[in-house]
Amino acid sequence: MGRQGKEYWRSLNQLADTDEFKEFLHREFPKGTVELAGNAWSRRSFLTTMGASLALAGLAGCRRPVEKIVPYVTRPEEIQPGLPNRYATTMPLGGSACGLVVTSREGRPVKIEGNELHPSSQGAAGTFMQASILGLYDPDRSQEVLKDGRSSDWDAFVAFWKKQQVWHIADGGEGLAVLSESFSSPSLSRLKTQFEKAYPRAKWVSYDPVSDGNISLGIEAATGRKLQPVYDYSKAKVVLSLDSDFLGFESESVKATLGFADGRRVLSQQDDMSRLYVVETALSITGSTADHRLAIEGGRIAAFARALAGELSRQGVLLNVLDNVTLPDGSDFDGKWLEVAAADLIAAGRQSLIVVGRRQPAEVHALVLALNEALGNIGETVSYNENSDSPDSNRETLAELTADMREGRVSTLIYLGGNPVYNAPVDLEFASSLRKVKTIIHFGLYADESAAGANWHVPQAHFLESWGDARAVDGTTSVIQPLIEPLYGAHTDLEFASLLTSGETKSAHDAVKDTWKDILGGGDFDKKWRRVLHDGLLTGSAAANVIPRIDRRGLTGIISASTVEKSKVTVSNMEIGFYSSNVFDGRFANNGWLQELPDAVTKIAWDNVALVSPATAEELKVENGDMVTLNYEGRSLEMPVWISPGQAKYTVAVALGYGRTAAGRVGTNTGFDTYRLRTAGAPYFASGLTVGNIGNNYTLANTQDHGSMEGRPIVRENTLAGYKDKVEFFPEEPHHPPLVALWDEVKYDKGYQWGMSIDLNACTGCGACVIACQSENNIPIVGKEQVHNGREMHWVRLDRYYAGDKENPEVVMQPMTCQQCENAPCEQVCPVAATTHDDEGLNVMVYNRCIGTRYCSNNCPYKVRRFNFFNYTNDIPEVAKMAQNPEVTVRFRGVMEKCTYCIQRINTAKIDSRSKGREVADGEIVTACQQSCPAKAIVFGNINDPESEVSKLKENNRKYHVLEEINTRPRTSYMARLRNPNPALVSKESHKSEHENG
Amino acid sequence: MSTVENKEQMPPAEPPLILGNQTFGTVTDRISKLAERKTTLTWLAALSLAASVALLLLGSIGYLFYEGIGIWGLNVPVAWGWAIVNFVFWVGIGHAGTLISAILFLFRQKWRTSINRFAEAMTLFAVICALVFPGIHVGRIWVVYWMFPLPNQMDMWPNFRSPLLWDVFAVSIYFTCSLVFWYTGLIPDLATLRDRATTKIRKIVLGIFSLGWRGGNRQWKHYELAYLILAGVSTPLVLSVHSVVSTDFAVSVVPGWHTTIFPPYFVAGAIFSGFAMVMTLGIITRKVFHLEDFITNQHLEKMNKIMLLTGMMVGYSYACEFFIAWYSGNAYEQFAFINRAFGPYAWAYWIMISCNVLIPQMFWFRKLRTSIPVMFVASIFINIGMWFERFVIVMSLARDYLPSSWDYYSPTTWDVLTFIGSFGLFFTLFLLFLRFLPVVAMFEVKGVLPEADPHHKGGSH
Repeated sequence: MGRQGKEYWRSLNQLADTDEFKEFLHREFPKGTVELAGNAWSRRSFLTTMGASLALAGLAGCRRPVEKIVPYVTRPEEIQPGLPNRYATTMPLGGSACGLVVTSREGRPVKIEGNELHPSSQGAAGTFMQASILGLYDPDRSQEVLKDGRSSDWDAFVAFWKKQQVWHIADGGEGLAVLSESFSSPSLSRLKTQFEKAYPRAKWVSYDPVSDGNISLGIEAATGRKLQPVYDYSKAKVVLSLDSDFLGFESESVKATLGFADGRRVLSQQDDMSRLYVVETALSITGSTADHRLAIEGGRIAAFARALAGELSRQGVLLNVLDNVTLPDGSDFDGKWLEVAAADLIAAGRQSLIVVGRRQPAEVHALVLALNEALGNIGETVSYNENSDSPDSNRETLAELTADMREGRVSTLIYLGGNPVYNAPVDLEFASSLRKVKTIIHFGLYADESAAGANWHVPQAHFLESWGDARAVDGTTSVIQPLIEPLYGAHTDLEFASLLTSGETKSAHDAVKDTWKDILGGGDFDKKWRRVLHDGLLTGSAAANVIPRIDRRGLTGIISASTVEKSKVTVSNMEIGFYSSNVFDGRFANNGWLQELPDAVTKIAWDNVALVSPATAEELKVENGDMVTLNYEGRSLEMPVWISPGQAKYTVAVALGYGRTAAGRVGTNTGFDTYRLRTAGAPYFASGLTVGNIGNNYTLANTQDHGSMEGRPIVRENTLAGYKDKVEFFPEEPHHPPLVALWDEVKYDKGYQWGMSIDLNACTGCGACVIACQSENNIPIVGKEQVHNGREMHWVRLDRYYAGDKENPEVVMQPMTCQQCENAPCEQVCPVAATTHDDEGLNVMVYNRCIGTRYCSNNCPYKVRRFNFFNYTNDIPEVAKMAQNPEVTVRFRGVMEKCTYCIQRINTAKIDSRSKGREVADGEIVTACQQSCPAKAIVFGNINDPESEVSKLKENNRKYHVLEEINTRPRTSYMARLRNPNPALVSKESHKSEHENG
Repeated sequence: MSTVENKEQMPPAEPPLILGNQTFGTVTDRISKLAERKTTLTWLAALSLAASVALLLLGSIGYLFYEGIGIWGLNVPVAWGWAIVNFVFWVGIGHAGTLISAILFLFRQKWRTSINRFAEAMTLFAVICALVFPGIHVGRIWVVYWMFPLPNQMDMWPNFRSPLLWDVFAVSIYFTCSLVFWYTGLIPDLATLRDRATTKIRKIVLGIFSLGWRGGNRQWKHYELAYLILAGVSTPLVLSVHSVVSTDFAVSVVPGWHTTIFPPYFVAGAIFSGFAMVMTLGIITRKVFHLEDFITNQHLEKMNKIMLLTGMMVGYSYACEFFIAWYSGNAYEQFAFINRAFGPYAWAYWIMISCNVLIPQMFWFRKLRTSIPVMFVASIFINIGMWFERFVIVMSLARDYLPSSWDYYSPTTWDVLTFIGSFGLFFTLFLLFLRFLPVVAMFEVKGVLPEADPHHKGGSH
């Protein structure tokens, strides 16, 4: 310190310059504080400590803490304090990429929405995308480089790798292996190529537990080319899904949902809509939207596909390519169903679509490609393009790698993301195969299961902290740009990959720009690049469609390689099916929003369960929540059972991604690790499962205990044909006395009058709105125990009702949130007038005034009010507070809260319009739920403006109000659900939907 | 000594109300002694038990304030639970005291004199217990005063349309009137105690509280008028308080709550439960303090008849609710009542029916009606039944309009401890009353003795 004058010292320790003081300076926080974040801290002990700290803080005096804030000396040009900035970026997930627009406030990203320009999101965003904002601020993310489990730093790792690299280069990368997740990134594939050049003998294996690998293998087998399918559901008049949850957990579900909803938008009796046939095992989001659904075992879908091919060819579809294949008849299935579906597909003439889920083996994909080709759908409802930037996720190679490791042929293993110790097929015994690997380097977001055994662990930057790029399925190149500096000093994928390849540290920004110099070609790079950054993608970069030619030999070969057999499942030889879930493959296990989002169908949060059909449960003598043992191939797993109507008989469906042992404070020990039953041979389904009843009951947090509508006119519906015939919906509205008021009612006919319309024909129940609302409105996560107690805080919930046959029910979904009743029962009973009406027709909550009598909740017929039973926000880790929206009050304990149509957005738009001297235009205010809805089921606007979209929808003859008969006069109206059953099947199905629900 | 009671001749058929050839002197002696004698060990033991249980209440409330309402078993369809059940239960209990002291006074029922003092005390303590619950059940206890119409700089008034606000007024008025009424009734007896006091402190304290009562003719004249007015003021309260409490439910839209029969039904229920509590306490007090001469079988039998009557009114209401639900043609209402009897809370419903409708039917039989063990057990069952009645009503919340939000409510340990603790508070107060104040209204009992008959003195006063 070459400074003149006095030198100030902070403490005697500094004067003495002790080690402790140096350590203190080095550490960001005093000893003991960071350690608190360790895994050993349960919520309870955390609360205890917090309580004690609070008590001590209280002793120090009752003043608020002094926190100095310092204004900018020179304000960054783009930052206006109080006003958000929006940046386009992209979320890579497996082989797909979802274009996003992220709202950033004072430099911190707070909200994720879809990028309208991006082909995969088209303005909407799914649950994974939106919840990743919470993942960014996850305090459990790895925060330091670990060397053999001990704290180290990046420089040490770089030094280590430089040394290590020398002899890897020397022997051409012998014994060097990279295990990555699948990706679809031009820059990363460029680096991968360089890596392969630098270390020609090294291996680069990519593995994802849940991937589109089967799809690409199938297409490759049928066409001899690596192609990427792109579906256009909006054009399809008849869709047949073979085990494809394309509206739920398949890749590209956001795009699919929008397309599918567009194909079913009915605004008048003249409009038509598509028809959806679904053949699946477990009731999925797609299955619950289906017009006809067949529940069969996953293992028989291949047989079904062949029977369908046989049926199509019988009905005159030219299937020459399959001449050498014996196609079974449909005798093993519901023959009528098959016949009618096939006829319908043919009748749709080039406007039909058969889609197969990624759970199905490659041969089904190959066969169905041929069927789509024969039906003339290719180029119409499905198109293909070449995507060179996406290596296949191929489980064979993981098996090979494991074998190599076991035999000592791998000396250095580098994980580039991924968590194979947790999610590799159990029979590969991946963890034990690591023993002979000398150096294991783990690069990941978390110090997770795989990091535990690694020699080095390097924290990976979150995509919101990273520079990068990704290619969407249609080939559009999009850019990933960081919204914030890495919070925990982590490094991006590209930085890490550059280091591996060249031994030099290079910024990811430079690496991306290097790639994009080629992509953008000549001309003014900076100008083009700025445009890309602005849009988040390169406009017009979609890959050219390829019309694949079917490789007859390959197709015949892959189909003949396997045989299909008749169903053999019995109660003692059941089929187990593995599904991805709200936490995907387990990577989102530490995301509280996703954990607390109830499963779309079962409505269970915070756990995975073994789903069985009601009939199977009866035979097994099990009830909801009973612990059972799943015995499969000599392995067994105990988990709770849940009876799910619509599950195929003698099958058990389990979700992957739970039961993590090192996920973080949210995900560790949440649910059951079903990977322990998943083998390389049967990654998605297999028979041979037996189920034993243990007997004791396990507590599950279920947000909807009752699945029947009890015949009440809550979700009203009709068939398309019925609606065209006469505008009526079932259940019918009950007779009620005239709805009159005792006093003069407020007119609400001036200025803005806000209202909402929700189209039940579009809503699939995917849950995007729930997460959007949670993110926008700072809704706390309350945990399993509280959800179990019925205290979930979601302002919008998705009600799911079953009707008809228990074994294959009809399902309806209904987003339910505050209806903003003009005649609100809640307002009348609040003793302190904390919930009142504003003159724009909103039922507003004055949190400051609320004393928490909860009377309003009791008197709410829709039960959409949520109460802060505890001080839930107290548990939010400091860093996660950065994810909160500063425009929305954080509610304290003892306060009631609920949806107010995103009043903060309304006011922002009003202020903006006033400053510009005009009215708020229609569509200018978009509520968070509406914004995120992939189906565009939600429309919000001014109902006092007859030209607004919402006004027009409220004039529509499908409009109705829920519980109209109690004269609440809701501002939210629903559009009745329509089904489009095939008349040829209706009579046979003895049309159960006489709407006598339950 | 003058009489507050009516001046008519007692009908000859009525047996004497007070037994054991009591004179003015023996009445004063026997009742005063209970308040003057040395503290007994039994009382001390009982008090320590009751006070310990009351501490449970304090502890539970402390934890409640610290953690929040979440320590109870509430959830979103069922946002009111035991706290409200207990509130209605305790308010209901209070009603018997007011009924006995005010309405029976106006109706010149002389038999009330033996029981009105402790019944009124019971009212007061029950209302105190009741008041605890709405106070603590709000989410933000520290701003609970916003319920009161206090002038403030924001010109923000409470919402006068809310039944909860009506509750605040109804119950606080009720408490105030009951307190004043009870205290007024105590004055002559406090003066008697003062006159008998032997220690200086007693003399001073009782002197202050007896407000200079000398028992002069003019004082009696004013006193009786005041008492009459207070009885008149209290009488409508008996009907209004529980009617207002019932509007908490009746004004809402919840099926099973939204019923016009609630006010009379609640009042009948309140009197029913109140008499049961008077009975329970009366039997114990009578036994422990050997007051069989004062609280005779005749008193008890009359109370049993009232319980039989009110029990049947309650039973009628139960039936009527079902009828109206069917007759209204309202599917939600119909479901709510079928669900009540056969749904997840059917067990509670049938406990309620058994205790409140079936058990009082025993009182048709004179033999059972006059058997102390039978009526003691019956009174306890009725108390249980009436608690369950409120529970059943509040649990209508569990299944209302949208089946998606249906849920089941179960209480937590804290709910239970708070409820038990409220009994601790109640008995602590009651034991203190038994120890320090005249348990029976001496001057009123004297008024119904044969000696008080104006014909003995040759003219009314």
